[in-house]
Amino acid sequence: MAATRRLQKELNDIRQSGLKSFRDIQVDESNILTWQGLIVPDNPPYNKGAFRIEINFPAEYPFKPPKISFKTKIYHPNIDEKGQVCLPIISAENWKPATKTDQVIQALVALVNDPEPEHPLRAELAEEFLKDRKKFSKNAEEFTKKHSEKRPTD
Amino acid sequence: MNSKSETDEASRGSEASSSKNPAPNNSEEEATSSLCTGTVTNRTEDIMKRAAARQLIERYFYQLLDGCGNPNCDNQYCASSGEARNLSPNEAAAEAIKLFYKEARLCDTLPNKVPRTEASGCDSSASTTCNTASGRDKDDNKDKEAASTTLVVRESTSRQEEPQTSHNLSHQEESKTRSHNNGAPLTEERMYELCEECLQSKVREPLIRALGEAFTQPAILARCFASKGGSSSDEDANMNEDKESKAMCLSSDPDKDVDSVAGPELDVASCRRAFQYLAKVPSEYYSSALVTSLKTLADNMCIDLRITKKMSVEDAVNCFVIAFEVPDLGCSDYLEIALPALCQAAEHLPLKGQARLARIWAQHCKDSLRHILETLQQLITLRVISTNYTRQFQVQDDEVVTMATKFMKIVYYANMLAGVMEPNSLREEPIVLSSQQDPLENVLGHLYPPSSIKASKNLQPDDPLAIELDINVLDARKPYLPFEEFYNEPLSDTIEMDIDFGNFKTEISKGKKFAFLRYPFILTVATKSLGLYYENRIRMYSERRVSLLHAVVGAAPPMPFLRLKVRRTNIIDDALVGLEMVAMERALDLKKQLVVEFEGEQGVDEGGVSKEFFQLIVEEIFNADYGMFTQQPDSLTVWFNMTSFETEAQFTLIGIVLGLAIYNNVILAVNFPMVVYRKLMGKKGSFEDLADWNPTLYNGLKDMLDYTGSDLEEVYYQTFRICYQDVFGNAIFHDLKENGDNIFVTQENKREFVEMYSDFLLNESVDTQFKAFRRGFLMVTDESPLASLFRPEEVEMLVCGSKNFDFNELEKSTEYDGGYSSDSQTIKDFWSLVHSLSLDDKRKLLQFTTGSDRVPVGGLSHLKLVIARNGPDCDRLPTAHTCFNVLLLPEYETKDKLQDRLMKAISYSKGFGML
Repeated sequence: MAATRRLQKELNDIRQSGLKSFRDIQVDESNILTWQGLIVPDNPPYNKGAFRIEINFPAEYPFKPPKISFKTKIYHPNIDEKGQVCLPIISAENWKPATKTDQVIQALVALVNDPEPEHPLRAELAEEFLKDRKKFSKNAEEFTKKHSEKRPTD
Repeated sequence: MNSKSETDEASRGSEASSSKNPAPNNSEEEATSSLCTGTVTNRTEDIMKRAAARQLIERYFYQLLDGCGNPNCDNQYCASSGEARNLSPNEAAAEAIKLFYKEARLCDTLPNKVPRTEASGCDSSASTTCNTASGRDKDDNKDKEAASTTLVVRESTSRQEEPQTSHNLSHQEESKTRSHNNGAPLTEERMYELCEECLQSKVREPLIRALGEAFTQPAILARCFASKGGSSSDEDANMNEDKESKAMCLSSDPDKDVDSVAGPELDVASCRRAFQYLAKVPSEYYSSALVTSLKTLADNMCIDLRITKKMSVEDAVNCFVIAFEVPDLGCSDYLEIALPALCQAAEHLPLKGQARLARIWAQHCKDSLRHILETLQQLITLRVISTNYTRQFQVQDDEVVTMATKFMKIVYYANMLAGVMEPNSLREEPIVLSSQQDPLENVLGHLYPPSSIKASKNLQPDDPLAIELDINVLDARKPYLPFEEFYNEPLSDTIEMDIDFGNFKTEISKGKKFAFLRYPFILTVATKSLGLYYENRIRMYSERRVSLLHAVVGAAPPMPFLRLKVRRTNIIDDALVGLEMVAMERALDLKKQLVVEFEGEQGVDEGGVSKEFFQLIVEEIFNADYGMFTQQPDSLTVWFNMTSFETEAQFTLIGIVLGLAIYNNVILAVNFPMVVYRKLMGKKGSFEDLADWNPTLYNGLKDMLDYTGSDLEEVYYQTFRICYQDVFGNAIFHDLKENGDNIFVTQENKREFVEMYSDFLLNESVDTQFKAFRRGFLMVTDESPLASLFRPEEVEMLVCGSKNFDFNELEKSTEYDGGYSSDSQTIKDFWSLVHSLSLDDKRKLLQFTTGSDRVPVGGLSHLKLVIARNGPDCDRLPTAHTCFNVLLLPEYETKDKLQDRLMKAISYSKGFGML
């Protein structure tokens, strides 16, 4: 597969590291710029399922940041209905080319586990999260059960 | 002028100087304080004595040859009197020396040869002189006896001269006779002492005298504040210690070391410190004296540089550097008297000297550049505002303004040199256009000399100073001061561009007239674009004439215009095919006036139809779906599709369209990144261009350049293989170097990587497309002065208009017609409605009334919108003449109706119709 060293190395590293929270990494042979994988959160209410994400690397990677989107629907204040997520570490202003993809994924998993209602993409969920945590957890759990993928068993 | 009374006056003047003696104790004080430098003083005085003698002989010489210009002259030694016989220059020179020894009569008004001092200047220099002269009489009699005999000769000669010259001379005599520090070059230490003394004793005379003596004589001033490198006496050592401690307590001076290295004769830092001391003294103590001195200095330099040539270029440059380090004197005399004189003197500085001045400024005086520029701008502005220019006395004839402008050019180049420059190796290859030959040129040559048609080709040589400095505005990546600060708006508004353009065009052959277009940095884009407009129109007319001539001799059917007929549904293809035919067969036709016709529509192209034509073409071509250009998501700019399937010819045609837009004065809604304009003007893209081409990428690369750790290789894990995507999103890999995948980017080669990467993205990957594009652009603009008048940023403004939507400005500049006035109810309603529109609707309104939604160069006030009453209240929609920016508005009864009609009109408008 034709690729730049950096991406190839990151892919190998991440596959070998055996991250529990990010698994099942799939990369199309013809296009190493797009990765898919399964996010497996530990915290309730998201620990009832797994979420498929797509990482899109720009051609200029690592000098430009990758973009991440959720393929699985999720009830989360920081992730909108289209699956777009606002992650400061990969915003154009904050991006550092030295940042590795596994750091990005760890930041993403942390955000999924602990929502940041102060910077929401979905204001109504953030409000619910802040004012009625019980209701939020119940809704999120139901939503997760209904939409999310199965968690890997191991 | 009567020479007898002149002589009387002169002698009276010197009598007066010896009788007035306001401060006897001062001279004593000075005599003691300056004994130490006596020997040095004597040497410089010798030089100056000789100089003064030469100056006098010079005057005799010109008087014999040219005369004084006074028709009633009765001097037998003056050519104007008719009594002197005709002499050859050699004879005249011999005669002049004789006359000098004879102390023959000198006429007063020499034609342009002797600068005259203002009356006020005369007064104060007189008072300076008197003090010392009288002091000398009393105290230094012995010295006087010891003075050389030539001095006596000159002393008597000077009585026959005009007063100011006699003052100058008595200056010299006095400095010769007294063993004073005052005659010697000023040093920082001396300045400090003088300032301290002045502050403590509140007596200004010693300071004024010292300044006056140093500043009036170029030969002395050039040696002021000299670097200490050469001299090694004990005194100097002491002074150096002194200076060091002073410098330390004053302020840390990081430039100091650099300064003393590169300035062999002048220590700019020392000079600056000296003026810092001076600035602590209240300026009213010395300002008028200093202004007078500067004026005299400038006049003397004028003579030295132009006539006697006794002054070395280096000395002259030193004088200018020092003169422009003088702190803000805060008096209008400086602007009105001293500065114009200095500018005039600078005009006589040879090219090498100008270049040297620019270099010294750039290297040592960066901090002063802003002050120098501001003062020059003040001078020009003040002059322009306070003078009433007429057709007979144009601003181009006003020497104060033109000399300041010429002088500003030196500052302009210094400013570039002081900023960030790029190597001049990054040039686009020149494109040779082969198809520009007029096939009929030979046949018609005798009827219509081709030189008159193609007069402008290569006729605008590069500025000699730019060549001397080996500098090009394209290489100035980041000038020290922004280029905008060189614009002078009052001047730009005052200039009658037709006159200036005429001067611009005739200057080469006649070498006389001044044209501001030769100094484009001072003109705003709006003013320059008017110049370009004249140029283009003249070319169009001359092409039209040639075409008619062809028709007369029966060589070709008359084609006075570049006529394009297009179908609205097929606009791109029709336009491209049409233009391609022209480009292939007769590329010269591209320089005719463009006339567009939409098939099946009645619109007559007075400019409006072609405006719409460009608008539609641009909309389609730059649409990413069309495949020739891609959108850069970060910067919202368009870029050449590096994997485009389109042929080169297509890109050439787009270049032609862009050129035609400029040529025909049409604003386009294109959003190219700046690098496109830089490349069009002949500069290759480089790393810094990525900043607006793709800011995120730029920041990423910059981050790597700023990374200092030795583990860059592991952290970035980047090789010389890079990746890009085609339109379909497929990743394509490219090795910047052979075997690039195995060459890692390290601390050592990261700069190389960044440069190669930028070069690939901006130049190499789009080379074919861009070359074709540029070729097309040059086919239209190759002979226009576009490149010499405009910088790339200004070309962008020409193409896109400025980006400022100020509808208040538009309201102020709008005119009314057909019964409306700004007080009409409908008009009031109209504006309150317009101001409440969204930006998008405002754009639509602009599109509707002017055929373009871009703001013209210079802002909306330059749109010249006219709102005309189109009958009483009725149901008709508003209409517009886009060619003339006229909006036809019926006098609707109510505001609601106006709103309804207007919104309908601007929302559903496209196409032309006769109503």
